[in-house]
Amino acid sequence: MGFGDRGGRGGRGGGRGGFGGDRGGRGGGRGGGRGGFGGDRGGRGGGRGGVAKRGGAGRGGRGGARGGARGGAKVTVEPHRHEGIFVAHGKEDYLLTKNLVPGESVYGEKRISIEGADGAKVEYRVWNPFRSKVAAGVLGGVDNIHIAPGKKVLYLGAASGTTVSHVADIVGPEGLVYAVEFSHRSGRDLINMAKKRTNVIPIIEDARHPHKYRMLVGMVDVIFADVAQPDQSRIIGINAHHFLKNNGHIVISIKANCIDSTVDAATVFAGEIPKLQEQRIKPQEQLTLEPFERDHALVVGKYVRAK
Amino acid sequence: MVNYFLYESSSGYALFERLESEEIGSKLADVAAAASDLTKFGKMVKLKSFAPFKSAAHALENMNDVSEGIMNDHLKAFLEMNLPKPGKKSKVVLGVTEKSLAGSIKEGLGYDVDASEIVLDLVRGVRLFGDKLLKQLKEGDLERAQLGLGHSYSRGKVKFNVHRSDNMIIQAIALLDQMDKDVNTFAMRIREWYSWHFPELVKIVNDNYKFAKLAQLIKNKSDLSESKLEALEEITGDAAQAQQIIDAARASMGTDISEIDMINIENFAKRVIDLADYRKKLHEYLISKMNNVAPNLSALIGEMVGARLISHAGSLTNLSKYPASTVQILGAEKALFRALKTKGNTPKYGLIYHSSFIGRAGAKNKGRISRFVANKCSIASRIDCFSEQPTTKFGEAMKDQVEERLEFYESGATPSKNADTMKKVLDGLKDAAGEDEPVSAGKKRKAEEAPAKKAKKEKTEKEDKKEKKEKKDKEEKKDKEEKKEKKEKKEKKDKKEKK
Repeated sequence: MGFGDRGGRGGRGGGRGGFGGDRGGRGGGRGGGRGGFGGDRGGRGGGRGGVAKRGGAGRGGRGGARGGARGGAKVTVEPHRHEGIFVAHGKEDYLLTKNLVPGESVYGEKRISIEGADGAKVEYRVWNPFRSKVAAGVLGGVDNIHIAPGKKVLYLGAASGTTVSHVADIVGPEGLVYAVEFSHRSGRDLINMAKKRTNVIPIIEDARHPHKYRMLVGMVDVIFADVAQPDQSRIIGINAHHFLKNNGHIVISIKANCIDSTVDAATVFAGEIPKLQEQRIKPQEQLTLEPFERDHALVVGKYVRAK
Repeated sequence: MVNYFLYESSSGYALFERLESEEIGSKLADVAAAASDLTKFGKMVKLKSFAPFKSAAHALENMNDVSEGIMNDHLKAFLEMNLPKPGKKSKVVLGVTEKSLAGSIKEGLGYDVDASEIVLDLVRGVRLFGDKLLKQLKEGDLERAQLGLGHSYSRGKVKFNVHRSDNMIIQAIALLDQMDKDVNTFAMRIREWYSWHFPELVKIVNDNYKFAKLAQLIKNKSDLSESKLEALEEITGDAAQAQQIIDAARASMGTDISEIDMINIENFAKRVIDLADYRKKLHEYLISKMNNVAPNLSALIGEMVGARLISHAGSLTNLSKYPASTVQILGAEKALFRALKTKGNTPKYGLIYHSSFIGRAGAKNKGRISRFVANKCSIASRIDCFSEQPTTKFGEAMKDQVEERLEFYESGATPSKNADTMKKVLDGLKDAAGEDEPVSAGKKRKAEEAPAKKAKKEKTEKEDKKEKKEKKDKEEKKDKEEKKEKKEKKEKKDKKEKK
């Protein structure tokens, strides 16, 4: 194995922190707070005190965006093409998920409360595509994300649980998310997040050895993997053999650099497809995550174990 | 053919009997197809027995054993009670999902076990229809059990972290680096600040720490007199310098300073001094920690570089798993990947550059010695990680080897053979062990890697590998040495001819 040990996922987080700095303008410029100590994901930042407050005091920073989003009247929320995901139209457009735990942010993201037709308030959380590859895929226009209300999801490479929290929002109380992460450091944050969301089952274990956590996982409808390992296709395959329903789906984020940094991204992606087919996964769709991530691809496939 | 199989669920162990059915063949594809259809699958398997866990703690204990492939007593009792005795009449083949658990069941109970893919398909079927097949459970029971067990298992993993002392080292070295930077910036600030009042002092005393101490002592330069000579000398450690300071204070061109400003400077000087003292203590702490955790590595390349290597790898275990070529360029990833992309020259060294060895080698030999040091670091970290008795003997011996190698590059003196050196160390250790009989048993890693059995197994494997590696190293080295000698002879000849 190369340099990035499994704990090195943290390292990756650090790298992304860098990205956030120079590209994340749209995402609210959280770059400064990220990268953290010891290269962990460090996304907690904390310095967003203004979020919890309403009205004038909270204004500032990125101008009207925050106030506008919180303003209520000006913002309209519509369901996205994918079930369980919403879009806010205001001064800026946001991707949203319905907050499973109203009143709380997981990683300092913005929240938007909308009064429904019957007067009941519904709270949504803003989903930043620069931080989450699923969100980037959704905005990139993936045909079917397969993560929907009521579904059971096996999430490999859960890290601190930022994206997991949104996936948990989407599947809702009827669904279930098994979140696997190997690094103890980010696992700590994951467990804390899972305390609040009872549809998330945290598993601190190596995704390479699904038999180690076979007691904890039931059959799932979809596997999402963001493991950034050279042998990720194999990892996904063995997890599918254990836990994925026949004709279930996989969604993988592939970071070209993590598999082979010497050839260009397209070659790497093309090379991964036969590896997936070897694991009885039929690739259905592939899209790049530009402009949110560099040299990343999202691959959607179907697991066919028996005809 | 598999006629029974075990399913480990979050709420208990379940034993299923596989019914002989004519409709569904025993072929893999058929089983796989049937496993996704409840009516077919229901005809194919029958629940023999289900043994729920007694409590959450009990479940966790079993889960830990299952994930390590150990047969828990609960599982043993359950299987003994429900499976027919292995005999001639009834042939029992028990299907188990995972090989190492299968192995320990076979060993412990003597059943024939099968861990092939067909079992996986059967278990998949049960996993899919779990709450329907396990009639004792209500819908959602399994998920609730999974949630509880998942939390307790994961918490356990985080709590009983194998790399506990490694993490302390990683934090300490990170803090030390940060402190170095901070102490330096603060020291620069105090020099700048106090120099308004007493600009000559900077020229006399160059050391930051001493400067801060002097600033704290002297305070207002106009109050400085011969009476403070002794105290000054104590700080500078040099009588002439102390006198020089007093003379400079008399003829200083610095501005006068008010009482309140002086108090602030003094406060700040105190902070800087405290911080520098704290840094020293932290350094001592790191050294003692390193000597405890990685004695050989510390002996070989020094505590600081060793700590950096561990910090970069994430833990000592990770470091010991790296090949020497990776250790060699650890810390130079950026240069490495740039070189790989542009097909340029890969870097010769990363973090190990900070060990004194490489600096001492000539420009031509830097790459060679770096490779050699990396080899030794790799071996040292493996010994530290997996050996039972703490010793620095190997590290010291390897350090000598590196010295010899440096000498060889310089003068061509033949270094001693690795086999001889290692043998000497091992003999030395044996003698020492013979003298004080009770060897401090089972060091650190053993105690830390929670399930001892598995760990031991791994350890022996690793040690085997290590030995092999060492042997290989030796062989390689021999070859290399021969080659090198030849090469150098050639070079010498060439030179002579040129002359």
